[in-house]
Amino acid sequence: MIDGSHDTSHTEDRAAPRPKEEKRAFAEEKASLWRITFGPAIWAIHFVASYGATAVFCAKFGHGTESILPFRLSVGAATLLVLAAIAWLGWRSWQQWGYLQTGDYENALANEEDRTEFLGHAAFLLSIVSFVGVIYTGLPVLFVESCR
Amino acid sequence: MTEETRAPRDLRPEGPYPPTEEMLAEPVPEDVQKGQRERLRAPWKTPEGWRYWSAVNNSEVGVWYTLTAFGFMLLAGILALLMRLQLAVPDNDILDADRFNQFFTMHGSAMMFLFAVPMFEAFSILILPAFLGARDMPFPRLSAYGYWSFLIGGVFVLGSVLFDAAPKAGWFMYPPLATEELGIGSDIWLLGLSFIEVASIAAAVELIVGTLKCRPPGMRVNMMPLYAWYVLVVGGMILFAFPPLIAGDFLFELERSFDWPFFDATRGGDPLLWQHLFWIFGHPEVYIVFLPSIAIAAMIVPTVAQRPIVGYSWIVLSAVGTGFLSFGLWVHHMFTTGLPTISLGFFSAASEAVVIPTGIQLFAFVATLMVGRVKMSLPMLWISGALAIFVAGGLTGVMLAIVPFNWQVHDTYFIVAHLHYTLFGGMVFPVIAGVYYFFPFIAKRILSERLGRIAFWLVFVGFNVTFFPMHIVGLEGMPRRVFTYPEGAGWGFWNMVSTLGAFVVAAGFAVFVYDLFRPKGHQGIIPRNPWRAGTLEWSHQIPDEAWGVRSIPYITSRYPLWDQEQIVERMDAGRYYLPDAETGERETLVTSVIDARPLHIQPVTGPAWITHVAAGFTGGAFIFPTFHLYPPAIVCAVLAVAAIIYWLWTSTARPPAQRMRDAGLGLRLPTYASGVNAPGWWGVWITMLGDATAFASLVFGFFFYWTARPDFPPEGALHAAPVWVALATGAFALSWGATVAARRVNRDGAEGRAMALLAGGAALTVLGGAAVILSVLALDPVSHVYPALMWALMVWLVAHGGVGLVMQLYCVAGLAAGKLTRDFDADLCNITLFWHFLALTAVTVGAVLGIAPRLFG
Repeated sequence: MIDGSHDTSHTEDRAAPRPKEEKRAFAEEKASLWRITFGPAIWAIHFVASYGATAVFCAKFGHGTESILPFRLSVGAATLLVLAAIAWLGWRSWQQWGYLQTGDYENALANEEDRTEFLGHAAFLLSIVSFVGVIYTGLPVLFVESCR
Repeated sequence: MTEETRAPRDLRPEGPYPPTEEMLAEPVPEDVQKGQRERLRAPWKTPEGWRYWSAVNNSEVGVWYTLTAFGFMLLAGILALLMRLQLAVPDNDILDADRFNQFFTMHGSAMMFLFAVPMFEAFSILILPAFLGARDMPFPRLSAYGYWSFLIGGVFVLGSVLFDAAPKAGWFMYPPLATEELGIGSDIWLLGLSFIEVASIAAAVELIVGTLKCRPPGMRVNMMPLYAWYVLVVGGMILFAFPPLIAGDFLFELERSFDWPFFDATRGGDPLLWQHLFWIFGHPEVYIVFLPSIAIAAMIVPTVAQRPIVGYSWIVLSAVGTGFLSFGLWVHHMFTTGLPTISLGFFSAASEAVVIPTGIQLFAFVATLMVGRVKMSLPMLWISGALAIFVAGGLTGVMLAIVPFNWQVHDTYFIVAHLHYTLFGGMVFPVIAGVYYFFPFIAKRILSERLGRIAFWLVFVGFNVTFFPMHIVGLEGMPRRVFTYPEGAGWGFWNMVSTLGAFVVAAGFAVFVYDLFRPKGHQGIIPRNPWRAGTLEWSHQIPDEAWGVRSIPYITSRYPLWDQEQIVERMDAGRYYLPDAETGERETLVTSVIDARPLHIQPVTGPAWITHVAAGFTGGAFIFPTFHLYPPAIVCAVLAVAAIIYWLWTSTARPPAQRMRDAGLGLRLPTYASGVNAPGWWGVWITMLGDATAFASLVFGFFFYWTARPDFPPEGALHAAPVWVALATGAFALSWGATVAARRVNRDGAEGRAMALLAGGAALTVLGGAAVILSVLALDPVSHVYPALMWALMVWLVAHGGVGLVMQLYCVAGLAAGKLTRDFDADLCNITLFWHFLALTAVTVGAVLGIAPRLFG
């Protein structure tokens, strides 16, 4: 529950109205530390699932050098799905960062807008790393043809 | 409703926030300041004389912790020198094989468990509160308890070398060698280090909660010092990395003590399970060691460049990304164990992928230095050495991630060279840089520039002379961990070079140690911010004051000392929050997780001896079983629990005298919090996350055996008695329900009914525990790994049920004594959270005992 919703403080932090004022109510819901871990968490789930599926499949059904094409295809398909999910997350965080509108790369100021954009920025970068990580994890099923 | 009748959970901060410039500009009259200073000084006073050792303040405990870890490092270093002497020439006989085995095992174990990880925690306890402008860590006595546990455990484990009784199966204790080994060495390793791991987790919980809840007002997540980000990431990693090892230790010690065959292949066990559990811990551990050290670099580099870090978000990305990816590397220690090629491929891929985030943070440092005005100060010199050595180690890491190359050099000196390059570059050099950088903050003295440079060049050159040749002898085929080698192998020359280099490194450390401890009284008053840094710790006071910060500032920049004018003067004048201690107690400010808005005033515990008593008896509970002395171990365990209960009862979550108090700058804050606002609740939540991970590792064991062994569960095996399993699960579920209901009715003011519910819950807990014992009683855990695992799950559940029972009874007593009331129910909220996890554990145990074997059999 690492998010802002438990912020029970009554004291408000309202500086002068800012250009993105109307978007702020929405943006505050996005202020969660968890969210920046979603990308890598999807990588982790995909990684563990791929490893677990291979371990079980090869222990119970794989024999020597026999081809395991259907298995490889299913892991490949799952990998593409996961990549799509991370791409979507990346797109969402790119929007939350809002670099094209604000041109702000540092997000270093003491206000809610910069905090939200910073979290978007970090989440966006993490999505890229996770995306590359998932591609890496997918490579073995592309190249290795059996359970040997 | 008035303040006095509203429940504290309904109380809200009142008054202006954030403070305006006019409010901050208003001076504090000198006589007010003087009175505040005197009142604040009293509760924070460090005890004197022999009572000094009862201190719990982070500045005292942090220094002891750091020096102890450093002392263990020097001792482990001496073991290394002795090994290098033995290996200097072929067919040497300074050490015999047995002693050599003890030395390399202890060298690795001590460097990892007694130096690298504790050093991170020690250093963080010492400096994190200052980064955050906090008075102290949220749970000072927990730090102290962790420290005393660490000291007892460390002396016990390292001391065994002197009695020729040290573990000798290598620092990763592979079975069957380590399970079959005679003597008590392996037991010392398992129990002694488990004890220390528990202390490590305690420190991790403290550091995470400190970072999340004790930041100064205004320090939103996008403004935290990078060190705090790394602490969060590393703390999280400890929670998920250490528990698998604790689960492994648990199974291992059950096999050593009671012959339950978890790792014995002749009775259905599998030594590979240990390798998995060990390396699920072991590889993230390398990053647990590396990240905090690189975090020190992230604090030094902006100061040296005299500008903000380039790519703050990128560094956060790399810390979080590395934290995750590092969990996908563990099998690269197991490439030669015959797993399917595809599986190896996954881990090879992840091992290559982790280079990306790791590289990004190094590039961010280089970029900052390039655009800044760099002066090559002493800390920066050590950081440069660190980067050079770490990059070399990282590159051999990329080579080792490639499976065929790895097969070639597995268990050779190439590995020894690689791991020392990563650990020296990734940990030792940055930590020494940190010592030079933070010494003026820690000791209010300055280390010698000249001695520091001499030490650097000795260690840097000596290190490369020692370890670079190991790449060569490794490629020539010299295996690691051999106590000697024949002349004909041709490894003699490079080994001699390595030995000479090792003594050059030792000379460098001798210079460093001399510089640390030489008298420095003549320096007088040193400058307050000698490096002209921008972060809060340099607002420290000279001469030293034990209160941490005079007043807790309002932060609007990542580098407040550079960007916020007059911040230090205003902190000193007590212009900001909590400038006073009207109640005469230690307090700090608790703020919200994301935006760091002030939430409440948190009382903080002061000096105590009960932590020593608790640590001593906890030590007894772990150390006596080493010698198979179980009755004294049980007595110690009971006394340890009693001590901890006394400690909690007397000093935590007690109803405050006033419900709201002035916090400065016109802000009034509640003085009590329960549930999600309370640091204690976060402590329980984070601890239980770690506990759940350990439990998940045990359950993983079940599926591992099922995958790896055709005879699991064996045909016709006796299963746990289904009726008892169902009864146990039901009883635990009902007890959970009673606890949740007790919290609810207590909030409605029905304290009597809450007591009845908790007492009924306690009875159900006892029933559940008894039923789960009865369910497996007919199974023989020595005969096969299947019944052994059922018993292990039972032991796990019964132990946790015991803790849950104590918690329920503690709350009954609290309600009876008026410590716990309708309004002040933090204890009840915390135990309910524990019970959520316990209910989940009970249901899972029920499913694995009762359903899974029939499904998978």
